[in-house]
Amino acid sequence: MSIHRVLAASSLVLLLAACTPAIVPQSGPAAVVSPRTRAEPPMPLPNREGSLKFAAMGDSGNASQGQYQLATQMAKTHQAFPFELVLMSGDNLIGSERPQDYAEKFERPYQLLLDAKVLFFAALGNHDDRNQRYYKQFNMEGQRYYSFKAPRQNVRFFALESTYPEPTQIEWLERQLKESTDDWKVVFVHHPLYSSGGRHGSDIMLRKTLEPLFIRYNVSVVFAGHDHFYERIKPQMGIAHFVLGSGGRLSAGDIDARSPLTARGFDADQTFLVAEVFDDQMHFNAISRTGQIVDSGLIVRRQPPAAPAP
Amino acid sequence: MSDRSRTSVCAIGAVLLMGWLPVSPAGAARQVPRTAADDAPVVADFLTRVNAYVVIHLQAERAAPKLPQEATPKQIDQTQRAMADRIQAARAGAKRGDIFTPEMTAVIKRILIEVLAGPAGARRRSSIMDDNVKFVPLTANQRYPDDVALTTMPPGLLKALPELPEEMEYRFIGPHLILFDQHAHIIPDFVPNALAGK
Repeated sequence: MSIHRVLAASSLVLLLAACTPAIVPQSGPAAVVSPRTRAEPPMPLPNREGSLKFAAMGDSGNASQGQYQLATQMAKTHQAFPFELVLMSGDNLIGSERPQDYAEKFERPYQLLLDAKVLFFAALGNHDDRNQRYYKQFNMEGQRYYSFKAPRQNVRFFALESTYPEPTQIEWLERQLKESTDDWKVVFVHHPLYSSGGRHGSDIMLRKTLEPLFIRYNVSVVFAGHDHFYERIKPQMGIAHFVLGSGGRLSAGDIDARSPLTARGFDADQTFLVAEVFDDQMHFNAISRTGQIVDSGLIVRRQPPAAPAP
Repeated sequence: MSDRSRTSVCAIGAVLLMGWLPVSPAGAARQVPRTAADDAPVVADFLTRVNAYVVIHLQAERAAPKLPQEATPKQIDQTQRAMADRIQAARAGAKRGDIFTPEMTAVIKRILIEVLAGPAGARRRSSIMDDNVKFVPLTANQRYPDDVALTTMPPGLLKALPELPEEMEYRFIGPHLILFDQHAHIIPDFVPNALAGK
């Protein structure tokens, strides 16, 4: 029996499973992604009261059958795991962006989630028209880059426009990160700092610009897109990185199998991610178009460096 | 004036100053490769032309209906088209080469040859061609074609090109490098066949 069948059979049950923490929270300076291999069963999402539940995806807006089917799967998941917001890591509308395209590439596929008052927060990708920042449903309030506090738990999200990481934006980011006293600092951005994609791969230049800030100011998790597959990167400098670029588009077979970066990769189907933050822990499940849990795990947030002894 | 526009104006000042620096006649005679300093006056002139366009853009923006921060797609489209109409009217006589002068076109092509060379360059080119169309005939001052996706602009390329004010972007449509007014969806000017090399 293939791993996918095993995962599919257990996925629904596990999504609804009661909380049984698999890993004791750890302290220390670095985020820790639980060591998992492909053979392990998926880790359940605790689905506990008071937690922050959210979803994330990227490269969704191509109006493909894959996008619509994944959106249906997201709505199904939402019934069992009521996430209240969705992070979009760019390429939200691919191709033309006329009013009818907003409907066809966003409003229609996610109608059930929008009806359920789920809020979408978008970052701009390389194919996105900057006018998207004015679109009410993307909650960008006219900004190309912005941050917002999550409605629950001590979490702040930062959306960046990675196509133009100009000094003004970087200075803004540094100010925001420095001023944030939130336990969790989570960045979503289009271009991945780390990726094993054959088509695009890691954006080294962006990494050089952003990573020092992420390290200095205690960012725990980075969600990206651009490469059209799911990949969880082995923690880099203590930070968890995800590539979530198969929200609609899919580059089947694009993950470099020899890449030393990959903790878990899945490029056979469209995928989105659901996550749950409670205190210092973030559980996550990556779910495919057909409802398979293709990856799961637990991240413990990075801790600020201890103050020097008097 | 936005921070970005102020930065551009400062950049123009800097490159103009560099342009006044004396050039060694001996160096010119030996046909040494052109440097960024050699191109500085051409780039400064280009940015002056871009900023002249931005003045028209800002006038059109002020005259167009103000877009709320929580707009509908229809409002976004209407504002964009209203701005485009005003810009196209104000630049009714615009032609190819008004902003990308022949000298600047040569600079752009040199930059592209350099940035798209070697294995890293091949990767950048492949990135640009991802979702790019084969060929679309263009004219200066036209509306960006509704059915053409915005292409990828590799960071390494953007870093090599002169920085634009916030209102403007570089993009490719087929082999052409365009200036893209992203608020009004206008193509103020373009470099034909920029990807084709010399």
